[in-house]
Amino acid sequence: MDQNLVDLTEKLSLSSNKIVLTSSDGDSFEIHEAVARKSQTIAEMLDAGCTGTIPLHNVTGKILDRVIDYCITHVKEDGPFEEEEEAEEKEAKKKWDAEFVKVDLETIFELILAANYLNIKGLIGLTSQAVADHIKDKTPEDVREIFGIENDFTPEEEEAVRNEHAWAFEDSK
Amino acid sequence: MDLRLPSKVLEHIFSFVDSNEDRNSVSLVCKSWFETERLTRKRVFVRNCYAVTPAAVARRFPGMRSLTLKGKPHFADYNLVPDGWGGYAWPWVEAMGEKYPALEELRLKRMVVTDECLEKIAASFKEFKALVLTSCEGFSTDGLAAIAVACSNLRELELRECIVEDLGGDWLSYFPETLTSLVSLDFSCLDSAVKLSDLERLVSRSPHLKSLKLNRAVSLDALGNLLRLAPQLVELGTGSFSDKLNQEAVSKLSQAFSELKELKSLSGLWDVLPEYIPLLYSVCPGLTSLNLSYATVQMPDLVELLSRCSKLEKLWVMDLIEDKGLEAVASSCKELRELRVFPSGADVDETNVAMTEQGLVTVSEACPNLESVLYFCAQFTNAAMVTIAKNRPNLKCFRLCVMEPFAPDHKTQQPLDEGFKAIVESCKDLQRLSVSGLLTDKAFEYIGTHGKKLRMLSIAFAGDSDLMLHHLLSGCESLNKLEIRDCPFGDTALLENAAKLETMRSLWMSSCCVSFGACKLLSQKMPKLNVEVIDEQHLTETGPDSSPVEKIYIYRTLAGPRVDMPEFVWTIHKNPEIGVSHLAIE
Repeated sequence: MDQNLVDLTEKLSLSSNKIVLTSSDGDSFEIHEAVARKSQTIAEMLDAGCTGTIPLHNVTGKILDRVIDYCITHVKEDGPFEEEEEAEEKEAKKKWDAEFVKVDLETIFELILAANYLNIKGLIGLTSQAVADHIKDKTPEDVREIFGIENDFTPEEEEAVRNEHAWAFEDSK
Repeated sequence: MDLRLPSKVLEHIFSFVDSNEDRNSVSLVCKSWFETERLTRKRVFVRNCYAVTPAAVARRFPGMRSLTLKGKPHFADYNLVPDGWGGYAWPWVEAMGEKYPALEELRLKRMVVTDECLEKIAASFKEFKALVLTSCEGFSTDGLAAIAVACSNLRELELRECIVEDLGGDWLSYFPETLTSLVSLDFSCLDSAVKLSDLERLVSRSPHLKSLKLNRAVSLDALGNLLRLAPQLVELGTGSFSDKLNQEAVSKLSQAFSELKELKSLSGLWDVLPEYIPLLYSVCPGLTSLNLSYATVQMPDLVELLSRCSKLEKLWVMDLIEDKGLEAVASSCKELRELRVFPSGADVDETNVAMTEQGLVTVSEACPNLESVLYFCAQFTNAAMVTIAKNRPNLKCFRLCVMEPFAPDHKTQQPLDEGFKAIVESCKDLQRLSVSGLLTDKAFEYIGTHGKKLRMLSIAFAGDSDLMLHHLLSGCESLNKLEIRDCPFGDTALLENAAKLETMRSLWMSSCCVSFGACKLLSQKMPKLNVEVIDEQHLTETGPDSSPVEKIYIYRTLAGPRVDMPEFVWTIHKNPEIGVSHLAIE
């Protein structure tokens, strides 16, 4: 992947600027500017004149590493380097994405928070879908357990909502 | 895991949570999820328009884009619900129009929709995209014109089996030249002819048009032009199929049909002449849905047609198909999921219509995916039902309409109890059942014992006693809708199972033996139900408590008594001081 990227930047004769991102726990990552710009947040910082090192206080090294992997894989989309992709390449990316979210739920949550903070559109979508898949066809009790969420409805409040669903907003025809 | 997802992130996640069931679950997780979910729910389904107020719905789901509503009870289809009973769309349109102008889709079934309503939709919702009206009434073609002229992003306009005051075909000409977004147009239930040149222009500027259902007034000749303009159609409802065309026109039409490479669904075919049926052969291999309920095609032609439809999943046809035609279906249509056979009204003696229980048995043997059946038939046997049940334990919907009330098994003269027993015992996932013919208490005992997944049950002209109703209400755990006509069911079963009624959407009983006194008692005992007595003869209120009521419609509601009741509907809210009779309740 890296060699392709080098070729790409050379081809387009754009500067091969490197940006350094540091995580909340002190890890540093040097990446191409094109990759960094997948994050709308970082892109705005760069446009506003930030140079050199960009500290990301909200993202751990472990997660930032994965996020950068995503950005590198998807660097060719929606940006100045956008190219028409072969069907094979699209298929390969789909598979890569599917593997990317085959991690424990806690990691997915950290990824979705990072994606949101860094405003990386494709990653937000990918991780949101992954979380949504864990919600489908589950009861509220199941969802609470999976997500570690406490039920803060009173019994009366919960009963009222359940009734409203059954009586007014019924599932089936 | 200490998880605190900001609402922005929750919004992203919920944008991938689509089904009603999942959204209902999600909103029960905790209060912040409830809040985010309600602000992001786009599609709202209200299965009984009187179960909740429009204001409450609008308040909870301010971001709603699509609203689906149902009004009158199902038996309205058989003219059992008097005109003026209710089911008005206006309060909903008014409530949404004032505060929530982002509405894009309205799907209404069995509701009264006025021209005023349609004009309000056209004026209030700038992004309006889809209007689908099924079995609705109360509007005229002027209302359609209002929608056509104003809704510049319109994608769907579908009128399915509506009763429309037809003031002419001009309405179609109101679609502006700038409208190019149409995906689906269904005006099959209208009578008047539309201006053909305007229709052609509309079709030719609608590159996304996938579904076109014409009315009978569109001739066969005109059809050819339209098909050439829209070869991308997936669903086609033709107009009248009976002009006398010359050879050249026939061959051009045949060519046009063969260009419909995407066609999956075909309907219409009014007055189809046998010599034109071969025109359809080229599209048959691709069809998954075929609706011949308006086409008086005789059996031999049906066999020719259906033997070419190997991918067919849904078939609606008249009993002109006969047993022989159903044999052809059995041998050719292995993917069949849904079969509906309607009565043609053809006199048996005259045209020798020979459709019996055997036809359905044959299909049940040969079509492994058959899960939904509606079968009108002159007579039936227990043995046939036992065989069907054995062949197709995967049935989800079984509606048998033996047309003669109280008709027994025509071979053994026995009641049809054992047949229905076999059905409910074998078909463990059966959700919808209609029974008919001669039935005793036993049939209902069986249904109560075995029909655990049954959600909707329709009964007519059946029964010996009140016990039967008791079996159903106490046994059918999943029962959601029960509709009964002309059965000797009365007070005891109803009052003993009063609590059950809060677990169901609705109960309809007409020409039964329920007394006015019982209705009053039930109303007092169960304040969360609307107990409506329909009393067109005005006998009930002035008569004794023991007098039987014509019709009752009982449904659970969060909205309290409705404010739009006509004078022939009585509820206890009209007369709360009326005393309780001496009937005891458990």
